[in-house]
Amino acid sequence: MKTMSLNDKKINTEIWDSNRNIIKSHKGGWFPGKGVFSHGYNMMEDFVGKKSYMQIVLLNATGRLPDRKIADWFEAIHICLSWPDPRIWCNQIGALAGTSRTSVVAATVTGVLASDSRAYGAKTIKAGLEFIQYAYSQYTSGKTVEEIVTTECAKHAGKPYIMGFARPIAKGDERVDAMERTTRNLGIEVGKHLELAYKIEKILLEKFDESMNINGYMSAFLSDNGFTPDEAYRICSVVVASGVTACYVDSKDKEADTFLPLHCSDIKYTGKAPRDLPD
Amino acid sequence: MSSQNRTKVKSRKEAFVEKTETRIWYEEPSNDNPYITKSNHCHGYDILELAKKRSFVDVLYLLFRGELPTAENAKILEHLMIALINPGPRHPATRAAMNTGIGKTDPAHILPIGLTIMGGEHSGASEVEPSMRFLRKNRKKPVNEVVDILRRGKNNSEELLTPGFGSKFGSVEILPQKFVDQILQLPGDHQTLEWANEFCKRMNTFNISWLPTGLAAAVLSDLGFQPRTCIGIFQLLSAPGLLAHGMELANKPVTAMPFISDENYVIE
Repeated sequence: MKTMSLNDKKINTEIWDSNRNIIKSHKGGWFPGKGVFSHGYNMMEDFVGKKSYMQIVLLNATGRLPDRKIADWFEAIHICLSWPDPRIWCNQIGALAGTSRTSVVAATVTGVLASDSRAYGAKTIKAGLEFIQYAYSQYTSGKTVEEIVTTECAKHAGKPYIMGFARPIAKGDERVDAMERTTRNLGIEVGKHLELAYKIEKILLEKFDESMNINGYMSAFLSDNGFTPDEAYRICSVVVASGVTACYVDSKDKEADTFLPLHCSDIKYTGKAPRDLPD
Repeated sequence: MSSQNRTKVKSRKEAFVEKTETRIWYEEPSNDNPYITKSNHCHGYDILELAKKRSFVDVLYLLFRGELPTAENAKILEHLMIALINPGPRHPATRAAMNTGIGKTDPAHILPIGLTIMGGEHSGASEVEPSMRFLRKNRKKPVNEVVDILRRGKNNSEELLTPGFGSKFGSVEILPQKFVDQILQLPGDHQTLEWANEFCKRMNTFNISWLPTGLAAAVLSDLGFQPRTCIGIFQLLSAPGLLAHGMELANKPVTAMPFISDENYVIE
């Protein structure tokens, strides 16, 4: 969105002039003969064979090189957030790409692009962190958990539509148990945000028979471990990729046009009846 | 804290529709193969008839508005389409398309890549929707009143929120104003465009005037397009230029575009 200062009448192109024909990177770069650098590290010497790929993903997204166990936790959550079922919207794009014979790269990135959604994927992770961090600030300011839940539900006509809790398509979320186990195995403690998330879940279970979903668990865990909503969004930008690839491969390896082919009559036309074209 | 006695995972059995619905397009099946169409209708009009008797601009308008445009509106839309046909070789979206071409990427990817960058909130398609909403909210008010409100700002902030209107590289753009002047010469309803033009004249003192996104927002508002649709319309109208620039470089060596030297690459 365009913002402009009222006092900005004088033409001043200094900021653009100082960036012409020069790149100033806060991240790193490749200098042939000298090395490849990332955030002050020599990538070939410091990373290859010594750090996990996911540690480098986190470094590039946040500027911080995390402990191996946090990176391992992220790797586990990536398994939870993408699976090869082409009924899921982004995965179906992969399947349609396969049946249309696009490249695997086109299939995977378009599926990833589809997951930039208000309903699922990386953007909801950002919203999840925003919610639990807001709720925690309310909680520490003196609001009760009951009040927080009531206020949130009131935004949706009393229904338990709270980011990170309940879930479309199905009730319950098997991934939460899997990630709780992973967290325990990695020896990572439960923090204040997750404690609050459990308290919210307890109320939702009692009132609506709805539980925390993977977004809620993940958002609280990441908040406890110092991640901002934007950082989580950035780290998880391609979180659905592998499931999309799988769905692409499945339909690419079959005959073209055989993924959910449609008869003309499989589309319900509700528009104007055939009419004459005016001259 | 351990897991609680959670609900066992079970389907909600939501009532999904059996068929996808559309009001836009009717495909009449052939007599012997239900997958093959024997005629296509766009909002009721046979596509063959449209091809024979109508322009591309007419059918584009029909697709999104559900009715054919008047001759005046078709001319206005065509004018806008030409105004936006190429964001130019310095626009980030075009440069993305050019990088795609010079990098020997599959040509099928030039448009998706360029259009994705064209979807940005800064000088891109995602600026068009808020711009249209800004115009819808204000166009019935006297320009002076809106300018005064903006000048006062919230909490005396110096920041003005005028999506679609502003400056580029420190000064106002020149060409969008020229297109506005041309379009205002065309017959038709220019209520929003006229209001926005008056607004720009008043805001010029503050280095705020037409941006291409504001031009699109004002014209498409007058043509009756919906704000959310116009994110994609703006991308669509810029597509020819992106593709042309991308393809222009597709068969050239990688040395045909600058590569910043190590001396001009600084890790801060």
